Amino acid sequence: MPQFDVLVIGGGASGLRAAIAAKRAGASVAVLSKVHPLRTNSALSPGGLNAPLGSDDSAEKFAQDIRSAGDGLCDTEAVNILAADAAREVIWLERVGVPFNRDAEGRIDRRALGSSSVQRAAYADDRTGHMVLHVLHEQFQREDIPCFSEWFVTSLIQDGGACTGAVALGHRSGQLETFAAGAVVLATGGATQLYRPCTSAVGTTGDGLMLAYDLGVGLVDLEMVQFHPTVYSTDRTALVSEAALSEGAQLVNEAGDAVVDAAGLSRAELAAAVHKAGHNGGGPVSLDLRPVADLASRFPGALEVVKSMAGIDASQNPVPVQPVAHRPMGGIETNAAGETSVSGLYAVGECAHNGLNGAGRLPGNTLTEAVVFGKRVGEAAASHARSAGAKEAAGSAARDNERLAEITSGGSSGDTLGTIHRELGELMSANLGVTRTDAGLAEAQDKIRALQQRHAALRVNNKSRIYNYALAGHIELGNLLKLAEATALAARGRAESRGAHLRSDHPEKDDSNWKAHTVVRSQDGSPKLDTRPVSA
Amino acid sequence: MKYAFYPGCVAKGGCPELYSAAVKVAEKLDIELEEMTDVSCTGAGCMPTQLSDPINARTFAKAEQMGLPIMTICSTCQGVFSQANHRLQDPEYREEINREYLADEGLSYQGTTEVTHMLWVLFEDYGIEKLQSLIERPLNGLKVSPFYGCFIRRPGNIMVPTKEVGGRRTYLEDLTRILGAENVDISGKTKCCGFPILTANEEASLGMVSKHAGESKGNGADCMVTPCPLCHLNLDGNQPRAESQKGEKIDLPIIHLPQLVGLALGFDPDEMQLSRHIVSTKAVNDKIDMLT
Amino acid sequence: MEVTYKINRKDPENGGESGYATYQVDLPEDATVLDGLQKIRDEQDDSLAFRASCCQGTCGECAVRINYKAQFTCTTRIGDVTKKAPEVQLDPVRNISVIKDLVFDMDAFTWDKMAAVKPWMEPDEEFAPTENIVSEKDMADVRKTMSCYQCGLCDEGCAVLPVNFDFLGPGAMVKSYRFVMDPRESGAQMDARMKVVEQPQGLWDCVHCYEADGKCPRGLTPSTKIMEIRDVSFKEGIKNEKVGRHHASFINSVKQTGWLDERKLVMETEGLTNVAGLMKLLPTAVRAMRRGKMPGRHEKRPGADQIKRIIEKAEESK
Repeated sequence: MPQFDVLVIGGGASGLRAAIAAKRAGASVAVLSKVHPLRTNSALSPGGLNAPLGSDDSAEKFAQDIRSAGDGLCDTEAVNILAADAAREVIWLERVGVPFNRDAEGRIDRRALGSSSVQRAAYADDRTGHMVLHVLHEQFQREDIPCFSEWFVTSLIQDGGACTGAVALGHRSGQLETFAAGAVVLATGGATQLYRPCTSAVGTTGDGLMLAYDLGVGLVDLEMVQFHPTVYSTDRTALVSEAALSEGAQLVNEAGDAVVDAAGLSRAELAAAVHKAGHNGGGPVSLDLRPVADLASRFPGALEVVKSMAGIDASQNPVPVQPVAHRPMGGIETNAAGETSVSGLYAVGECAHNGLNGAGRLPGNTLTEAVVFGKRVGEAAASHARSAGAKEAAGSAARDNERLAEITSGGSSGDTLGTIHRELGELMSANLGVTRTDAGLAEAQDKIRALQQRHAALRVNNKSRIYNYALAGHIELGNLLKLAEATALAARGRAESRGAHLRSDHPEKDDSNWKAHTVVRSQDGSPKLDTRPVSA
Repeated sequence: MKYAFYPGCVAKGGCPELYSAAVKVAEKLDIELEEMTDVSCTGAGCMPTQLSDPINARTFAKAEQMGLPIMTICSTCQGVFSQANHRLQDPEYREEINREYLADEGLSYQGTTEVTHMLWVLFEDYGIEKLQSLIERPLNGLKVSPFYGCFIRRPGNIMVPTKEVGGRRTYLEDLTRILGAENVDISGKTKCCGFPILTANEEASLGMVSKHAGESKGNGADCMVTPCPLCHLNLDGNQPRAESQKGEKIDLPIIHLPQLVGLALGFDPDEMQLSRHIVSTKAVNDKIDMLT
Repeated sequence: MEVTYKINRKDPENGGESGYATYQVDLPEDATVLDGLQKIRDEQDDSLAFRASCCQGTCGECAVRINYKAQFTCTTRIGDVTKKAPEVQLDPVRNISVIKDLVFDMDAFTWDKMAAVKPWMEPDEEFAPTENIVSEKDMADVRKTMSCYQCGLCDEGCAVLPVNFDFLGPGAMVKSYRFVMDPRESGAQMDARMKVVEQPQGLWDCVHCYEADGKCPRGLTPSTKIMEIRDVSFKEGIKNEKVGRHHASFINSVKQTGWLDERKLVMETEGLTNVAGLMKLLPTAVRAMRRGKMPGRHEKRPGADQIKRIIEKAEESK
């Protein structure tokens, strides 16, 4: 049985950073990832990494901006850690190779992003996530850390209350394998595939959230889902960094008149404004990039992706945009060190909720969060593994084997994974979209349960386990449906409007009752909603 | 019609038959050649551009003085020249090279020299109908695999820069057809012959010889035709070694482009010096004999 | 619209059988090739294996050959394919073994080769208080190179890999180029870097056929970059001994006489004291002599002195 001090699940920016840090802290480490690290969703993050590098900036200002975007739900410790560590981590990234854009003095340039009070986002063209991910992968290779790429984790192993490993299916070998570990770090990314359309890669199916949830760990603030305001979307999506809005791009109607003034708006406010402008009879909203100076060198990624996905030359024509589901703020309940309620189990990055993002993430914080907390959580996991000592994982793959056999027991029901996923995505967009109502949420709960039943009846015909994407897809869709149910429950519970959660039946913010986190836990197989106070 | 003729090192060295065939064919077609004798090797990709760009600029400047376009008979020369000439279109770079290297000799390159391969000359300058009208011995029944190799095709933006010369992608096939021969297509006709890595990796280099020549033979060709003497050196000169590496006889004659044209213009195989090839051209000679 | 997909399939478990399977799919006009694949797996055959991740032309995961041309399925419109051909034929990329259907051995094809160039920085001051001070122009060049997807489409078109799969391939060398051209690399690192990229099956095994330049979906001209690394190697000193002898002889010959002395080149490349190497050349030399192909006496060109002057000056300006 492969055995490591620290097992990191997920090969995106958070996972790679955690693995590097754990290795440097002296631990033996392995990464399990269902796609190759360079194909993870981190590559899609265009805008930049916030860090208070400028003489006009400070950790305090940064923290203030984070809290302001978080709209009352940020936990102080996580905010202060990010604000304090961001600069050091960005400089490390630069030193190990990220080719950040430079200012006239040859220092890291910073661009304005979202509602930040100063220009704070270090960036590498508008392909920052791609560049950061590639450099992290370089350093990951430098550390000579084993990478189990294209391995799909089917369950976590719990022994005497502690998490001691994981069971995973190797796509290439078709074999289930048990991995023993002193500590397990979940860095599995988000669950934006709940929505259709969405901006994220096909693998963002909330697997890590459900692995933790199944061990009884709480999921916090699931109702907080960030919609990105400037996304081209039909059946395909093409995201343009909202940095463009700070550099001259305009949101216009069909007549070409500016319809939204983006200045100073949080991402949630901006998304809501674009949504509203698109529904007030002025026709669809478009993003006009033509006023941006040096468009081709400032936004090469956006021009390319808009051309390839939308067939539009954005240097010549406005691009129709709408708010599209982008990144969740909620996730696995952790403290600022990434610890969950299960000993030895950690979570970091987009799958985790450590209190940083509150009800709205400051644009430019995703990648900073990944590296700052990736490092800390990797170190914490290494330290835990050292004190816990190495041990054989008690679990076996037998139960997972039965589960996979059950899924692949064949027999078509006439239904398909794609149909159920599409219906789920459209339902989420309609009923848990930019604005929500109690009636819509109640309807969503019923429909999600119906979809769950259809999913439970569905079987995969292909019995092979070698690159059986339908088998993995079945589990992923199961994860999404469970998560959707929990998300709807949390959204229905929060009877107020705050941050990314807008209830048209409760349009006001209700600090007296709801300056609190929602927490959903699995109880007797059903999701149970709870709340806990925000920690000052 | 007159050119500054740049035969290249190999046609003056290891493939003298190419030189004489090109000269004879040009004479027969009334293409006047003024050979450039006081100019350098192009560098052939074995010299860093830092060294080769200045010496090639010198060659271009000389041709500019002659008031003539350069004609090559070697794809490698053509490729290196075209790339160098492309870089030298940058006035700043050109001026630097003029100042640093050419001024001492009283030379200066203005960027106007055209460099063209004999294959291109036939289509783009001479006119293919005119060539057709001069054919004395259509090569009916001769099965020929066109082999371009790399440098006359790529980089595409430099070697086939405009739609007007898009035909460069099929000149060899067109030419063999016009000469009366039959095309025998192979999958690697625009791939590398292997010559450039003969030093670094002989096994892989010879593997390419077997691959291309073997496929051509397998498809029923009598011979292969190439516009590049370096392809010829490897495909012909190293074919026996490729055969022993693979443990399989191939025995495919490799014909230089001007030789094939010459045969159709009525020259005998001896006049085209086919006897100088390493792989016996008997199969080709026999077919030509039957046509005569 | 009704579209016919013809997919080259391989079953790794039942004797490795492979062959084409045909599917009819109804797709909207603006669908992508990937949309059709997903629909086939969802509705017709859930055993179909193909890779995809971002579905928006950003990650590089979904390369296959679409009607013989290697492309991303997520950015290729079905209409653009069907207006040229009645069917959409899908094959795995070339130069690599297939595992299942359109899933090929990416480890051997790209990841292992990338790792072989030791693609990471080891800065002297990794935990410095401030960033490196470098020009935006230099960083813009590095970013351009780093926009590489690592999708393998350049390797797919490589002429060497079919005869020598151990060749590093253009993709890995573009990765190396990203460091070679980065001003933040120190001199000591550069030396190690060049040794690694000049390893056997590396830099000097490229035939510079420029195939790869036309294959990169981001227009990164891998072949040209390989030649630029060679230019650096010329400056820093060629690390591959035999290639070093070959190029030194080549340059010397042109420098001394204006043109190439092929006979001398062959012998000096092998090494004049390398008896075994020279003996190996003998049969070829004998064959050439018999056919009258052996180059005659190598004489100095008329312009040789000027050529020598230019080369020496260019060498000095290193």
